[in-house]
Amino acid sequence: MSFTTVLKKECLDNLRDRRTLLSSFSLAILGPIFFVGIMVFVLERALGESDDPTVFSVIGAQYAPALMAYLERENTKVTRLDPVDDPQTLVTSGQHDLVLIISPDYGDRYEKGNRNTLLLINDSSKLSSQRRHLSNLRGLISNYSRTIGLLRLQLRGVDPDLTRPITTQSVDVASPAARALTILASLPYFLVLAIFMGGFYLAIDTTAGEREHGSLEPLLTQPIPRAQLVLGKIAATSVFSTLSLLVFLTSLNFSIPFVPFERIGMSLEIGLGQLGSILLVCLPLIFFAAALLTVVASFAKSYKEAQTYLTIVIFIPTMPIIIAQFMNVETTNTIMLIPSLAQSTLMTDFIKGEPVANLHITLSMLATTLYATFLSYVAVWLYNRERILG
Amino acid sequence: MIEINNLAKTFKEVTAVRDVSFTAQDSRITALLGPNGAGKSTTFRILSTVIQADSGTALVDGIDVVKDPMGARRKIGVMPHNAGLYTRLTGLENIRYFGTLQGLSKGDLEARVDALVDNLDMADFVSRRTQGFSQGQRIKVALARALVHDPKHVVLDEPTNGLDVMATRALRRIVKNLKDEGRCVLFSSHIMQEVDALCDHVIVIGKGEVKFDGSIEALRENAGTDDLEEAFIQMAGIEEE
Repeated sequence: MSFTTVLKKECLDNLRDRRTLLSSFSLAILGPIFFVGIMVFVLERALGESDDPTVFSVIGAQYAPALMAYLERENTKVTRLDPVDDPQTLVTSGQHDLVLIISPDYGDRYEKGNRNTLLLINDSSKLSSQRRHLSNLRGLISNYSRTIGLLRLQLRGVDPDLTRPITTQSVDVASPAARALTILASLPYFLVLAIFMGGFYLAIDTTAGEREHGSLEPLLTQPIPRAQLVLGKIAATSVFSTLSLLVFLTSLNFSIPFVPFERIGMSLEIGLGQLGSILLVCLPLIFFAAALLTVVASFAKSYKEAQTYLTIVIFIPTMPIIIAQFMNVETTNTIMLIPSLAQSTLMTDFIKGEPVANLHITLSMLATTLYATFLSYVAVWLYNRERILG
Repeated sequence: MIEINNLAKTFKEVTAVRDVSFTAQDSRITALLGPNGAGKSTTFRILSTVIQADSGTALVDGIDVVKDPMGARRKIGVMPHNAGLYTRLTGLENIRYFGTLQGLSKGDLEARVDALVDNLDMADFVSRRTQGFSQGQRIKVALARALVHDPKHVVLDEPTNGLDVMATRALRRIVKNLKDEGRCVLFSSHIMQEVDALCDHVIVIGKGEVKFDGSIEALRENAGTDDLEEAFIQMAGIEEE
């Protein structure tokens, strides 16, 4: 059948274009590695944070021995420095990350009951771990300050509670596991992107590219129905989208064991079962992606123009996923009718190990296949017009 | 035999073909001669079924190209103007792809490919990828691709464009062979010497209309000059700029 002839030829043609092949699979190969890298980094930090001491340097420690004694009793690592003319340079030069300055009149003011202002020099453009040191130190100092204040009030016979009619107490339930899940939720976004990237170049090469190279006209003089020709091209694009997805899943399968899930008390497992389910629900999306890319690339007059169009098109199916992440979309029947959003929602459920209704799977597959079929009709219609020759 | 009757085709506001009729007989080389933009390529595109005429008919061996495009495509081998090859495929793969699309069985295809490689003298380069082929090599592969299904009718749109002297000679010999094999060869050109050397029958097209239809001798007589170029310019109704 001519359909398979076209399919085989387009696959062979694209396989021989090594550079393009590498660039369309780069996301699939490197995406999961990058992804796992971020997860490991975030989790390691989340795990290590609580035990890390607060690191800072002090100028004028000798003026406030009681404060220093209090600070050093807490989980801190203090470096005492000699006074310098311009203490800011200690931070700007990068020698010290956080410098606390106690002025020589600290003791005097303390005795008289005046307010003492301590200077904290830091650089907020630096890594967040240093911001943590700053807020920890601030907390310690204000604790100390409050204790002193309360003692003073008590000495004067005033109930300390008078000065604080309202207090708050917050409970942060974000565990390292919750952080891990937040990152995992962005995985479907990359999967959908990998599907579209896999077929990106082939969709252009088989349409706008073929026209630009002048091989389209002789091809159209062959005694085969246009539908078989176009469907062969869409099928070839689907093959490469599928390959891209398979490469992504394989890469993920090998890199996910490096994430220390067990250390955060999570029994998350992305095994072959999950990967298989992901592949299954993504099959209609692959067809959809191939048809969409082919239709749009067919409108373009040149390879370059097609590249521009498709770069925009790739953002359309990934946008709802990003929005859904912020809005915490529930798995509903309506969501299942929207291509790419349906698949990403289902994939998130698979990854989190939540139960997935067969109705939802069926609905998403049917709806997306329907759209894809419609787009294929459009592609065939485009190729039946004379204007396809440009 | 190819018969063209009163073809007309307009693209938006531009009338490419106004009224073209002619007949190209078997075992003859018929030349479509005309300046750029005269309507040669449009006529060929209608004949090869990639575009449809607004009015008029085109018949290949009695088959109407509009009523039975698939039947017409099997009977005709087309080499469009500036026909491109797939540069990442070898010459052979390019030819086989079209042969398979024509529905040739594996055995028939291989036999036919072998014969073409031999006839067109392509053995030296045909198994290499076509990227980097010379224009002459490219034309040969494109021609083999158009001839792979052994069509009775061969349509070549400016085949000698960009060829050097030796390649042009080789191509002329091939075209002559096609005629000797009994095929109906229709080709377009704007080069007089080529038409003079090859053709039995000349049709001059200018501004979408047939200006002359007859033998080379008749063309000379008609224009009242031995200078073929002069005769062509007169017939096509073009003025020197």
